[in-house]
Amino acid sequence: MMLEDGLVLSAYLFSIGIYGLITSRNMVRALMCLELILNAVNINFVTFSDFFDSRQLKGNIFSIFVIAIAAAEAAIGPAIVSSIYRNRKSTRINQSNLLNN
Amino acid sequence: MDLPEPLHDFLLVFLGSCLVLGSLGVVFFTNPIFSAFSLGLVLVCISLFYILSNSHFVAAAQLLIYVGAINVLILFAVMFMNGSEYHQDSHLFTVGGGITLMVCTSIFVSLITTIPDTSWYGLIWTTRPNQIIEQDLISTSQQIGVHLSTDFFLPFELISIILLAALIGAIVVARQ
Repeated sequence: MMLEDGLVLSAYLFSIGIYGLITSRNMVRALMCLELILNAVNINFVTFSDFFDSRQLKGNIFSIFVIAIAAAEAAIGPAIVSSIYRNRKSTRINQSNLLNN
Repeated sequence: MDLPEPLHDFLLVFLGSCLVLGSLGVVFFTNPIFSAFSLGLVLVCISLFYILSNSHFVAAAQLLIYVGAINVLILFAVMFMNGSEYHQDSHLFTVGGGITLMVCTSIFVSLITTIPDTSWYGLIWTTRPNQIIEQDLISTSQQIGVHLSTDFFLPFELISIILLAALIGAIVVARQ
């Protein structure tokens, strides 16, 4: 069934995104895992919208909003990472303590 | 999409296996460039999955924005900030990694066991009857456009303001 396949896929993407987001030491890889989590949310929205709301398609509109927010996040994230890299010469997460001193 | 049943199932299994392997590659490749390309594969497969579930507009938006913009931006970020860092980045298992793996597997297993137990077909009869009144003569892209310009008009404008502010902020942070 299409609904349960979509839900299982999105659960898989969500859990592996959480795992990668917590355990990755590279900031850019953490951003990639964040994209995975947002995509899991989008798959849920689109699957439910196709299955329950196939006339009005409001889930599609919410997934477009999520895509726009992800675009804003993907513009901000590498900018911050490159600014940290310029100051620290490193993109490891556990070495970014610029607020400390 | 109205495909014959075996073709639909084959496409679903193919896309699902690409998604599973690609997202494993995003997390577990040691070179960040490989994992960025693997992320691109995952995003393309998700876009094809949207086409399979009748959402063509979202599929086009996913392909344009995620693959065309976000993935290219992440590739640029990886290429700007490559160093000799990935050699230390090899995944030696620590205690935190083990705990995280356990927690994520338990989340996944609980979701997997919850999804087939829920009676989705009981829900569908509560939502279907009041949709008969809605007009269904226009296509889905026109439907999305009508919603975006009538009852989702304010969030649409707010999204544009957020995008403008985010782009200006990104330029200000990354400049120097």
